[in-house]
Amino acid sequence: MQLYVPTAPPPKRQAARAPKLASLQGARIGILENGKLNAPEMLNEVAALLVQRHGCTVRKLASKRNASAPAPSNTLTDIAQEVDFVITGLGD
Amino acid sequence: MAAFSPRTVEAPDDLLAAIDWCYEQGWTDGLPVVPPEVSRVTSMLAADPRPPETVIARHPATTLELTLHGAAVNAVMAGCLPEYFPVLVAAFEAMDRPEFNFHGSTASTGGSAPLLVVSGPYGDQISMNSDVNLFGPGNRANATIGRVTRLILRNVFQMLPGISDKSTQGNPGKYSFCIAERARGNPWPLLCEAQGYPKGTSSVTAFAGGGYFNIENHGGNTPEQILGSVADAMANYGCITLGQSVVILSPEHMQIVTSTGWTREKAQDYLFTHAKRPVEGMKGVGKYRDSEYDRQHVASAHALTEAGFLHRGLAPSDILITMGGGDAGGHSCFIPSWSRLRGSLMQHAAIRPTPKKE
Repeated sequence: MQLYVPTAPPPKRQAARAPKLASLQGARIGILENGKLNAPEMLNEVAALLVQRHGCTVRKLASKRNASAPAPSNTLTDIAQEVDFVITGLGD
Repeated sequence: MAAFSPRTVEAPDDLLAAIDWCYEQGWTDGLPVVPPEVSRVTSMLAADPRPPETVIARHPATTLELTLHGAAVNAVMAGCLPEYFPVLVAAFEAMDRPEFNFHGSTASTGGSAPLLVVSGPYGDQISMNSDVNLFGPGNRANATIGRVTRLILRNVFQMLPGISDKSTQGNPGKYSFCIAERARGNPWPLLCEAQGYPKGTSSVTAFAGGGYFNIENHGGNTPEQILGSVADAMANYGCITLGQSVVILSPEHMQIVTSTGWTREKAQDYLFTHAKRPVEGMKGVGKYRDSEYDRQHVASAHALTEAGFLHRGLAPSDILITMGGGDAGGHSCFIPSWSRLRGSLMQHAAIRPTPKKE
């Protein structure tokens, strides 16, 4: 028998990974924390290691109000203009 | 623009073999599905006059889209009849709003399930159950409308257990979680009326429900006694958050609550006032956070908010309360929201039945 397929076709928007940084030395870090209980502590700790080991600088700390929803596009746009890479994670 | 051409596939002609074949494709919730045979899907689609490629919901992260056609395919698989389709469509239109956040509420370790509450005459027209064994099995409309909601999250939006659905424990409502509000003997305006829909228009409310708490009280004889036990359940340390609540009062409990003229609003006020825990108690169980307390106790906080306490929700209007279930028994229920904060807010939409052909 002929059936319809119940899954959706592939999404129209194809996400791609950003190119790898050539070097971490002196790179500018952005931190995107999601409001979970230990997120700032954990992410700041990771950033401190990068500062210590690679001479990075922390330039931006952004927060999400809703941990389970995508970050607002203006948050991402703002942070992208000032940093070379972003650290984010759950921190639960 | 390319013509809409939904994908088809050949499955075994033998029905039992086709059911097994659907299992092999990973299309089921663990229970057998009705193979989505083309003519059945066509009949389902006749329940909505819009083109089948009409998009009714989008996944905010993956951009996967739910079309009427995709909804109809999954509705057939769940065992829906075409007359159930308008409820399903309205439910996803409601769930598609960013405030509902169906991605987060499905992906989260919290393990919630979309509770659908159908209000108004359409529930009766499609023989939904609002009465005895309300949340239990036995009614095709309740069971399959709830089931197709899960099948769509799984098949269309790829919210797959263990991969993109990380529920720690989940809850039984993830198979099906759909009821009708009981109109018979209900002393309060129906939800669809309270929501402002025109007379005769039914609605469906979607709520990311974190489970089911039975509230037993066979001894209480006053509104305060009945609602006091409800408030205690709402504020238990295991689930008190700033989130919303659904309370379904049994007819026995509703009769007691309204015997002295209590309105829905008065009951909401009472529940909000009493569903609270002291700050010290919250600290005692390790759940207290300044940011949550501050969010609830801002200058514009609801007048019933009490200093030194954390209430459930931000205002009485965060509590949906209505009636459902069989005539006998002092058993009501409380359904907590997903998320320790307010990650999903309940949404409602009008049900638009298919116009009858002349």
